[in-house]
Amino acid sequence: MKRRDFLKTSVAAGAALSLNFEKLQAALASNTVAVEQAPDLVAVMGGEPEVMLDKALEALGGIGKYIKKGQKVVIKPNIGWDRTPELAGNTNPELIKALVKKCLQAGAEKVTVFDHTCDNWQKCYETSGIAAAVKEAGGIIMPGNDEKYFKEVDIPGGVTLKKAKIHESLIEADAWINVPILKNHGGAKLSCAMKNLMGIVWDRRFFHQNDLQQCIADICTWQKKPVLNIVDAYRMMHQNGPQGKSAADVATLKSMIVSPNIVAVDTAALALFNQVKKLDMETVGHLSKGEALKLGSTDLKKINIKRIKI
Amino acid sequence: MKKRNYLKGLRVLLAILFFVPILLFFVDFSRVLPDSAHRLLHLQLMPALLGGMVGLIVFQFLLALVFGRIYCSTICPAGVFQDIINRLFCIGKKKKKGSRRFSYHKPQNRLRYVLLAITVLTAVFGFSGLCLLLDPYSNFGRIAASLFRPVVMWGNNLLADLLMKVDNYSLFHVTISTVTVSGLIAATVALLVFIIMTIFRGRLFCNTICPVGAMLSIFSRYSFFRISFDKETCTHCGNCEHTCKAEAIDSKNLTVDTSRCVDCFNCVSSCAKGSLQYRLQLPTTSSSAQPAETNGRRAFLATGATVAASLPIASAIAGGKGEKKMNRKGRKKWPPLTPPGSISLERFKDKCTGCQICVVRCPSQVLRPTGLEYGLDYMLKPRLAYISSYCNYECTVCSDVCPTGAIKPLTVEEKTTTQVGIATFFKSRCVVNTEEKDCGACAEHCPTQAVHMVPYKGTLTIPQVNPDLCIGCGGCESICPVRPMRAIIVKPNVEHKFVERPKEEEVKEVEVDDFGF
Repeated sequence: MKRRDFLKTSVAAGAALSLNFEKLQAALASNTVAVEQAPDLVAVMGGEPEVMLDKALEALGGIGKYIKKGQKVVIKPNIGWDRTPELAGNTNPELIKALVKKCLQAGAEKVTVFDHTCDNWQKCYETSGIAAAVKEAGGIIMPGNDEKYFKEVDIPGGVTLKKAKIHESLIEADAWINVPILKNHGGAKLSCAMKNLMGIVWDRRFFHQNDLQQCIADICTWQKKPVLNIVDAYRMMHQNGPQGKSAADVATLKSMIVSPNIVAVDTAALALFNQVKKLDMETVGHLSKGEALKLGSTDLKKINIKRIKI
Repeated sequence: MKKRNYLKGLRVLLAILFFVPILLFFVDFSRVLPDSAHRLLHLQLMPALLGGMVGLIVFQFLLALVFGRIYCSTICPAGVFQDIINRLFCIGKKKKKGSRRFSYHKPQNRLRYVLLAITVLTAVFGFSGLCLLLDPYSNFGRIAASLFRPVVMWGNNLLADLLMKVDNYSLFHVTISTVTVSGLIAATVALLVFIIMTIFRGRLFCNTICPVGAMLSIFSRYSFFRISFDKETCTHCGNCEHTCKAEAIDSKNLTVDTSRCVDCFNCVSSCAKGSLQYRLQLPTTSSSAQPAETNGRRAFLATGATVAASLPIASAIAGGKGEKKMNRKGRKKWPPLTPPGSISLERFKDKCTGCQICVVRCPSQVLRPTGLEYGLDYMLKPRLAYISSYCNYECTVCSDVCPTGAIKPLTVEEKTTTQVGIATFFKSRCVVNTEEKDCGACAEHCPTQAVHMVPYKGTLTIPQVNPDLCIGCGGCESICPVRPMRAIIVKPNVEHKFVERPKEEEVKEVEVDDFGF
């Protein structure tokens, strides 16, 4: 991080928290203090995806805090369906493009993007606009259509799911970023950051057979956790999810929620979802199950949140 | 004097122009070739016959009447394939053991025309199984789909794995899932028949077994342009006879049986004196010189008698369908699910030649060739098998490529409203009921929301099917986690129906200016 950037960030972060100049003094004196003072969760509203990403990362202390030079980075969006970006079935391609660029600027050796899709993978990659966005940004778009690409790992923290075959790009990655889109979901009730991890495994049938909500929480305990969860809520599918029927299922919220904490980010996303459609926390079983597995807190009062409106 | 043989060059060029794209179209697993390449398949005679494409049938018959059976050496992929087998067999062999190993044989006319007659009669009586089994194009299709294609895919996987190591994902790993045991057996048998017959007797398949060859021979017998001898210059060396794959040249009597000649023009090249030429010779002037004609007449009468005798058998085979559709437990077995565009099971059975082009082109790999599980009259025809994939909502590829019209071309609008079957929900097996846990995989995959979740116990929701919206795409069945019997299964419509398009909801503007946390 450049010294000037560092100063700017520190000032911004410090000023945002409170106008306590002692803290600012401390932040200026030591890098570690500045990091501690960064918010646990940032929510942005009112901008285009790349603008909101800039603001969010800036508030969190810059991409360089999460992605180091020479790292192999994986970005995992939701590319589950053969749907255009307007129908909000998949993560916004503009966001993915901006994020791939950011990671490369931060010095990532390579940035790989994949999803284990539900519809035909080639159609999903193309119609979602994500394959084109990744290529344009200089990233690698990798298939996830064949068991060959998945390697078995242990999930010691899992209650029901003890083993899973995970996409090899993640197994080899030094850091990965989870980039879901916020959606209604017929089975899991809410599809967001935790649910997005179902796309890193090969055998999803096991999830559906053996308590979907528990398995979603279990897979999130895999030791290699995402360094960031970036929730795309630019457009949000509020009904008929996860596939959606038409534009009537979509609300344009122009929002983004970012946090390293997967349970907190989903809890916040659920609250945002409730601004459009009522959805009780208790029906989204994987949230409390994730909390029980010590993946994070569903109590947003306990964490430090920064809200940005553009 | 020996002249340059342009005709053979032209024949080889045409053969390549037809064969290579057709072969590539079958083995192209990653769909590089556009689906419009299916137009090449529409020249195939058997599909045209079953599809009732009168214009094309007349064209092919006229072509044979004017130029002879050039169809068999250029348009027919099985014909060209036999030439390739022959060519490969000749590599490294002396002429006598290789390219000049053939000799004249009398035509097996009785067998040839009896087979043709039985094939035609059974088809007329509603059993197209013989057309399917004997059609050269469809046999080639099955060989390409079940044998060549997997080999190409294996090669691709090897290469893809190598490229993957250097982060190149332009090739990707593919799973071979459309090859079934029945498809493999049919392809292997066909391949062996072609290889053995070609090695020992050249184009014997085309001249005795093939119904397309037999049909064209009726016209080519009288073809205007034909190979004939110049009796003045011929030295009776026999080279032409030994080089004739069709075994149709008798170099002692200087006759060429044009009912068997496939216009390969190899004989023209083999003749050092240039005594054999392809020229205009109207049948009236040549018939007297052909003893084969009298043979032909006798054979025709014999054929008639045999066919008359075999009529009851033909109708018995044809009539034997549509019975005993019980499985072992005596429960009524559901019929196969036919592809959207096939209109009805009966129509599909009558028209499909089992060439497998829809199976290989289906992007979802959901079409599979069947064995005998749905009876003799559904053998090797494709069915929708929702084992691990489903019929893509807006996809119309199978109906676009089908050369017989067995799968009628559909617009996207028609496709998305064609109901091939109806999802049937078995609550007693569903995990929401048995385990009392969330699932909803079926509703998740439903493109029309025909399968949707309704409140159940506590926070649980359970699937419900609206048959008026369901098109039977199998999204639900393919993803249902319950085994061995799934909890949601598509019950086939023997006659396809049309459903209303799901109603478009009004788009409401939602204003949100607060995070809610």
